[in-house]
Amino acid sequence: MIEQLAQSIVSAPEPIRTLLSWIFSEAFIKAAIFPGALFSTILGMFAVWYERKLLARVMLRVGPMHVGKVSGILQLIADAVKFLAKEPITPSSAIRPLFWVMPSAALLLSLLLFAFLPFGAGWIIYPSEIGLLLFFAVIAVSPIPILLAAYASGSKYPFIGLTRMALQLFGYEIPLFLALAGVVLMAGSFNLQEIVEAQARAPFVLPQFIGFVVFFTAALAETERVPFDIPTAEGEIVFGWQTEYSGAHFVVFQLAMYEKTLALCVLGSLLYLGGWHGPPLPFVPETISAPFWVVVKSLIVFTLMVLIRGAYPRLSIDRVLDIGWRYLIPLALLNLLITGAIVYFLGTLG
Amino acid sequence: MAAPIEQLWFLWDPFVLYVILVLLAPDIFYLVSWLIAPRRPSRVKKTAFESGQAPIRSALGSFPVEYFPYVIIYVAYAVIAILIFVSLVAVAEAGVTPSLLLLLTLATIASFYASSQLKEIVGRRG
Repeated sequence: MIEQLAQSIVSAPEPIRTLLSWIFSEAFIKAAIFPGALFSTILGMFAVWYERKLLARVMLRVGPMHVGKVSGILQLIADAVKFLAKEPITPSSAIRPLFWVMPSAALLLSLLLFAFLPFGAGWIIYPSEIGLLLFFAVIAVSPIPILLAAYASGSKYPFIGLTRMALQLFGYEIPLFLALAGVVLMAGSFNLQEIVEAQARAPFVLPQFIGFVVFFTAALAETERVPFDIPTAEGEIVFGWQTEYSGAHFVVFQLAMYEKTLALCVLGSLLYLGGWHGPPLPFVPETISAPFWVVVKSLIVFTLMVLIRGAYPRLSIDRVLDIGWRYLIPLALLNLLITGAIVYFLGTLG
Repeated sequence: MAAPIEQLWFLWDPFVLYVILVLLAPDIFYLVSWLIAPRRPSRVKKTAFESGQAPIRSALGSFPVEYFPYVIIYVAYAVIAILIFVSLVAVAEAGVTPSLLLLLTLATIASFYASSQLKEIVGRRG
């Protein structure tokens, strides 16, 4: 319908008409607006504000309130301007090209995750039969820019953060793999859209509660959220691998970490909480209510992450390794066994 | 117009267009920063941060890493994890068989036994 509207502007000259038909084309809307660049960036900024506000409530504070009319909603824009107005400093010991390129590479990989996530029956940038596998390939590569950035800083605190992050990621990538294996086993597909459709009757969190707990814990560790934030512990190793980054580079890195967190929240809502299945909204068509439910469920997962950040202290490296290797891997295998037994004796629950 | 939009195929593919936009996104930050940020480099600013002290020696030397054995365990484990994930493609088609259940039971029991035996994390101090 929108495309017809664009076509009906006959009086416009030829180049403008082509431009309009491009702006209203499926490619542009998906890539630039939803669920592409604009949406993921705004979601990232909203998440930062939401986290600050909710964390403040947990600590009986008010949080940002001065910038913007309603509860400091424009605080993030003020923060971004502040960071961009700071001088980006490159230490003389740094390996310059690597040091400069790595924030962009991290943001590229984090935002690339959104290309494989469906927000509704047709709302996906790159539909694929192996969407989950592609998502996982990008997640597995995503620490590399961070490790290279820490190495390229040529400074000691980033180097300590590097070793801690490497150990942490090594410990939690395997539980994440195994937890997702349970979902694939139950849905019988790597296609994220089919996985969501398989949850029409019951979300996978019910039969695979252990799997959800393992996935959630591993996602916390993968994105360095608070109980697992030793690689960037600001109190002890002055922000770890990010120590030497300032100004625009720092903003890009922070945005990259938030986008990765949100992508994992969306994945959690798709895999375990039933994705876009939810009570129908009155007077709202399916194409809009589906993304609405995905975003709401993702924010529920994100809220859980923020509440955990408010409640738990930072874990030391030996505890982190202990939880990853000694608790999560056996639990993930147990979840896989339970899932296999359910599928074998009861058939798929879809 | 020099290049009509219709002929640029990459503008009509959502994924390629998205990658282009994502590549442009950080450059907007850098451009704004380049325009409004001050540039007053000094020797002290450019030294590596070591709590305000002069750096003691180069950071790129070798230094002991605790819990290094876990990195080695990971190298062995990662291959198995990928193997499990890839073999799921076959399982998704053929369905769950009794032998697969038996294998999973053995793996679960073995991992619980191993984690109950490895009480102490293998570190340098121990």
